[in-house]
Amino acid sequence: MADLTLSNLKKSYDGKPVLHGVDITIPDGHFVVIVGPSGCGKSTLLRMIAGLEEVTSGTISIGETVMNDIEPADRGCAMVFQNYALYPHMTVRQNIAYPLRIAKLPRAERDSKVEAVAKILNLTEYLDRRPAQLSGGQRQRVAMGRAMVREPDVFLFDEPLSNLDALLRVQMRIEIKKLHRRLKATSVFVTHDQVEAMTLADTLIVMNAGRVEQIGSPAEVYRKPASVFVAGFMGAPAMNLFPAAIGAGGALVIDAPTGGVGIGRTSLAEGTPVTVGVRPENLLLSETAGAGLPATVDFVEELGGSRVAYCTLGDREIAATLPPGDQQLEGRPVWLTLPPEALHLYDRITGQRIDVPVHAARSSIPSAFAPSM
Amino acid sequence: MTTDVLRAPRPMARPLRRISDKSGLDTAAGHVLMVLLSILCLFPVYWMLASSLRPANAMFETSLWPTSMSLDNYRQALEAIPIGRMLVNTLVFSVVSTAFQLLTGLLAAFAFARWTFALDKLVYSAVALTWLVPFQVVMIPNYLLIAQMGLLDSIVALILPNLVSALAILLLAQAMRSFPREVIEAARMDGARNWRILWEVMVPNLRGTIASLAILIFISTWNEYFWPLLLSRTAENSVIQIGIQMFMTAEGNQWGPLMAASTLASLPVLVIYVVLQRQVVQSFMKSGIR
Repeated sequence: MADLTLSNLKKSYDGKPVLHGVDITIPDGHFVVIVGPSGCGKSTLLRMIAGLEEVTSGTISIGETVMNDIEPADRGCAMVFQNYALYPHMTVRQNIAYPLRIAKLPRAERDSKVEAVAKILNLTEYLDRRPAQLSGGQRQRVAMGRAMVREPDVFLFDEPLSNLDALLRVQMRIEIKKLHRRLKATSVFVTHDQVEAMTLADTLIVMNAGRVEQIGSPAEVYRKPASVFVAGFMGAPAMNLFPAAIGAGGALVIDAPTGGVGIGRTSLAEGTPVTVGVRPENLLLSETAGAGLPATVDFVEELGGSRVAYCTLGDREIAATLPPGDQQLEGRPVWLTLPPEALHLYDRITGQRIDVPVHAARSSIPSAFAPSM
Repeated sequence: MTTDVLRAPRPMARPLRRISDKSGLDTAAGHVLMVLLSILCLFPVYWMLASSLRPANAMFETSLWPTSMSLDNYRQALEAIPIGRMLVNTLVFSVVSTAFQLLTGLLAAFAFARWTFALDKLVYSAVALTWLVPFQVVMIPNYLLIAQMGLLDSIVALILPNLVSALAILLLAQAMRSFPREVIEAARMDGARNWRILWEVMVPNLRGTIASLAILIFISTWNEYFWPLLLSRTAENSVIQIGIQMFMTAEGNQWGPLMAASTLASLPVLVIYVVLQRQVVQSFMKSGIR
């Protein structure tokens, strides 16, 4: 059993806190991805689990053992670094065998383990090369081999794919996922790349400014972002966010250049300041006057399979995903509809999600709809 | 006035010069310069060799090539002083000093580069400061210490103050500080403790730096003159530089044997350089890559 438990884990450098008390339990065999913007503390957290950074307060346990004061090598963790961190003077074989050599494994056993790992990673023909003679992808595989050969309880990945080119990154991503299915070891993967995070994770942990914003499955995090930060961070293009207010009878009213516009009805008390979020793919865009909020298309991004229209609504920019098509939209006036069932509500003060359903506005409310021209 | 500017004829467009032509010319000029500099450096060495082969009566000949050659000077030098013994002394002095300076340098540099401890910056500065203290300042205290230890006129006494050098510590600490942190961390994760990290991970990758440092220390120890001069009492316990000096007497200099002894003294340094040169060149090439 190798559940990884972090409880009230804090870290500060020279009195400056960088992690403000993190509580996470990662069940045995789970693949957890920690995602967040640079400087959010995700790498520090990983390095603390590895034992490369000291813990300021709180505990790290693997299984039943508290690991705070245990040497990195004795924690049963193996780490794959961003810059591969291979030993330049050793061959691939020696690199992979190094942890076993230190553990004083007999030569024959060492060799057979290295061969087995090399076979899984397709490195057999490169075993006698030096890292300098390998491509980026091969080097990364060697780094993974060196981690695998120790048969660790926990794999730690510190942005291992960010030095690879786009195509290779996708390949390696799939390989890592396959490898995890095969080895079933608890894995913690740190990245700032959302696609990596969404595709690899069993459980996704979103961090911001030294705090955990949300823990959940990728689908959960995407469909029900727990805070304004998560809403804005996960998803590309990002979720559109509008300040809004609750009017009489729970009417949800957003500020538009033409005045307040009612877009739905909630059970919230009148006067509650909220932020409304809607994903670009949920926005309905129409060229028919009067059907929603008036906006102008600034710019259209062609993605092949879809298009993203960036529109201006007053002084705000709004992204809407459109199906592929050829019609010229740039510079044209459009009308945006925010479907009530696709809206996310957040407390404007705490930034936390408010889980109340939004119903379609009663016909009397959208009096403020004012189609321009 | 603006119109003048606007109407001013544009400078004639220059034809694009072929890059290869330009660099070809530059390379040739560079080579000529290098050859001249090489001659400048090598000529005194050649002159030493040529003079050592000239018979006594032709010593002040100015012909580039000795008109008649003899090994008389070598015979005379070998008879006058125990050159063999002196060379062995110098070799022991240089090799042991170099080995110890590298060893102490590596250990101290590792501590400075990898650990934080109380007053570490202060200690590091103190080490750096000792480098700035000229030998003349410490030679009397050192001499007195050696004399009190009863070690005058011995090789051990020559070596003793040369076991540690600030230069080695500073240079190696700097090299270790720029060593990729992730590689060291990977080694820690693999189970390596400090001792292994130093000898199995860092040292093999600092070979170039260590080789250049070794050459530097070896040559400077080999050429050490003043400290042996203070301590030596007998020719048998002297180093070769003192031996060479013995041919410069109040009655005049014996140029022939002096050149012969100098030639013999230069050979080991040359051999060391040739052996380590590949490492040094590699280290310069590597430092460009990172």
